[in-house]
Amino acid sequence: MAQHRGRFGVYALEQSAPFIGFLASMAVLTLIIMGLGENPGKAFQGIFKFSISDAAKLAAILSISIPYYLSGLSIVIAFRAGVFNIGNEGQYFIGGMVGAIAGVYFPLPAFLHIPVVIIFSMLGGALWAFIPAILKAAKGISEVITTIMFNNIALALVNFLVNGPLSGLQKGTSLEPQMKKLLPTAMFGKLNGFFRSIGWNVPNYVYLDYSLIVAIIAGVAIWFLLFRTRQGFEIRAVGTSIDVSRYAGIRVNRVQIGAFMLSGAIAGLIGLQEIFAIRGFYTYNLASGLGFDGIAISLIAKNSPIGIIFSSALFAFLKQAGYGLQLFSKVPNSVTYAIQGIMILFIVAINEILIRAARSLRKKEVA
Amino acid sequence: MSDALLEMREITKSFPGVLANDHVSLDLRPGEILALVGENGAGKTTLMKILYGLHRPDEGWIAVRGTRVSIRGPRDAIRRGIGMVHQHFMLFPPFTVLENIILGEESQTAGVLATARQSRQLSALMEENKLVVELGARVEDLSVGIQQRVEILKILFRGATILVFDEPTAVLTPQEVVELFRTFRAMKAQGRGIIFISHKLDEVLEIADRITVIRHGKVVETMDREGATKQRIASLMVGKPVLLEVERPQVTPGPTVLEVKDLVVRSPRGYDAVEGLSLSVHAGEIYGIAGVEGNGQSELVRAIAESAEVVSGDILLEGKSILEDGVRERREEGIAHIPEDRQKYGLLLPFSLAQNLTLGMHHKPPFATRLSIVNGKAIRESARRIIATFDIRTPSEETPANALSGGNQQKAVVAREMSANPKLLVASQPTRGVDIGATEFIHRQLVKARGEGKAVLLVSADLDELMALSDRIGIIFKGKIIKEIAHDQAVKDEVGLYMTGEKAHGAA
Repeated sequence: MAQHRGRFGVYALEQSAPFIGFLASMAVLTLIIMGLGENPGKAFQGIFKFSISDAAKLAAILSISIPYYLSGLSIVIAFRAGVFNIGNEGQYFIGGMVGAIAGVYFPLPAFLHIPVVIIFSMLGGALWAFIPAILKAAKGISEVITTIMFNNIALALVNFLVNGPLSGLQKGTSLEPQMKKLLPTAMFGKLNGFFRSIGWNVPNYVYLDYSLIVAIIAGVAIWFLLFRTRQGFEIRAVGTSIDVSRYAGIRVNRVQIGAFMLSGAIAGLIGLQEIFAIRGFYTYNLASGLGFDGIAISLIAKNSPIGIIFSSALFAFLKQAGYGLQLFSKVPNSVTYAIQGIMILFIVAINEILIRAARSLRKKEVA
Repeated sequence: MSDALLEMREITKSFPGVLANDHVSLDLRPGEILALVGENGAGKTTLMKILYGLHRPDEGWIAVRGTRVSIRGPRDAIRRGIGMVHQHFMLFPPFTVLENIILGEESQTAGVLATARQSRQLSALMEENKLVVELGARVEDLSVGIQQRVEILKILFRGATILVFDEPTAVLTPQEVVELFRTFRAMKAQGRGIIFISHKLDEVLEIADRITVIRHGKVVETMDREGATKQRIASLMVGKPVLLEVERPQVTPGPTVLEVKDLVVRSPRGYDAVEGLSLSVHAGEIYGIAGVEGNGQSELVRAIAESAEVVSGDILLEGKSILEDGVRERREEGIAHIPEDRQKYGLLLPFSLAQNLTLGMHHKPPFATRLSIVNGKAIRESARRIIATFDIRTPSEETPANALSGGNQQKAVVAREMSANPKLLVASQPTRGVDIGATEFIHRQLVKARGEGKAVLLVSADLDELMALSDRIGIIFKGKIIKEIAHDQAVKDEVGLYMTGEKAHGAA
């Protein structure tokens, strides 16, 4: 029993990097606030008020973390397979657009229309991952380069299509380049009523919509795939060692192409909330950077589909904290981004140190 | 002991959880060759790393020529006249021999390299130590044996009087070993001291003046060569009596299992590494491949067990060509493979031992259901069976592979490949870097496979191993089998001559 507790201690130590990193970066934030001549107490009060002070604020964090989670999940799959998909930003833009096309042009009843737009969003994302995946598998061309390029191509393509053939801009409405409005059958409903009925007072302005369900299903499915299926085992094996995998008869190329496209498919889901629940139309001006955030979210959580629940919530918290900071003090928003970067650095570095410490402790235990 | 060239006294070094050296003492006299023997993990390497300044001892001290010294790094070691020839050479392949040797010690005249004087110096060193190398040759064009000479010259050039050799013969042909030992004797005659680390007890008994045996971080005994026997050293190393000879019961070979016909294999570097090679291995037969490394062995193995680029020719398993098959199909058809570099190819280190023991079979029932769901219970049960059968020492089957000792990792790979119940077992350098106990285990497994009617293709750089185990030995030279010798006709020196191409096919 004592030994068991010891092992748990080592495990806890191994997992504590995010907490230590969070506290350390908050300490840095305090110093910055003081350096700017602000009162840290007031500033942190602002953060608190805007992020976790009540049920409504917590609901907002949950809402914001949905796209973050999906973006992180997309990266988890790719990184587990040793594929450095830096392209989920582009996959997300293309996926959203393909989903929106289905949402605008396919007249379907709601019970069909919603699954169809979800599937089309995934297909769009997977499609955008397909070419870099093939280039990597067939010609060994680094996916880091191709996916970055494909991000640019995606943005240019979306820009062209939304301003051109797919433009739904009507005179006198809005100047924002956009597609036609989605058919009402494709719109995601909200779950706020459900949450209220179980006693969580989620205000109307917070979007807890069907994309939350999509995120939960996707998370469970990816977890199951990675840890309970042979394909998932092969993905993790390939990500651990291509040499060993090839030696063991695993078809490395096939596994990586599959993981790459699945990563793209999940990336296609990132925009669901903004397009199908919040805006109701597709635009070139979707929140940018969500794809890249997924890399950090996955990294912090050591590419764990469970861990990214917390790291995506952390990112959502930081976003809200930034608003609070701006409103209640003179700390500029750019500081929040800096703190985000510092936090990631802290967590990754501390994690490395803790893993080494845990390893030597374990060795002691074995010996 | 003030006449000693080197004294190490009561050296103790612990790493988290391991006492690598426990009050180890040894001394080396001028003009002496001291052999340091012990199993993997016995603490030889740690001791030598301390001597070379790569580790600091927790306790104990080192004295060179009677003066206590503190060695903080290789630079300090070299200044004190301590040099080391590593198993993996520290050379720049595109540079010439001369450039490699003088690197960091260049003498200049007005900013221009003054190589003439240094090459004269080197010529003298080569002469004295019987180490002939062409100074202008590029290192990448040299054989492993010659590269080793460059390494030795490098440390002699830096004035080493104490030379440490970490398993120097592991990569050499018998002839090269003879020449290395000639150099050893020449250096000895000049009053230099040599510490010789080796697993090969025959060599130890041939060249060493004294032998220090280390086990579990402690010196078990230091003995003179006179009176030392292989049996005694091996038992001291392992801590219990060891069977050095492998018993090979009579087996009548069955039908042909593997047939390689006029095979040409392109190496990843673009040239044909295997050029028209033919051989066949029967059921119940161990076919050994002898040869100097780099003559196409790795490419041949890759062509059979993996899918290297075959230019022409054919590989047949029980009469059917396998050229079109991927690794998975080949495994399913009954080819098992103990890879040369087990650290790199054998195990998924962060994964559990159980998962590693089913790797390669993981995609089939019972380990994965038809719907591809992983069956953890079947994997663990199979693993427990393999662990028991092959006596793998592990806390449990859930232990990650990287928590196992090196020897047990090796065992795990062998156990997995054997338990797949193959028709053909391809074993590539199966005992390289493996200690006596595990070597014995692996040899027994190979002989057992032979007894069960499996065909075994054994590639090894260790001639003794090949001669002890193989029913036939094929000597590979420049991508071809140039000679096949039956078990009872194999003579070590003759095999060695074929390996270097000095004796050609038919000239026997």
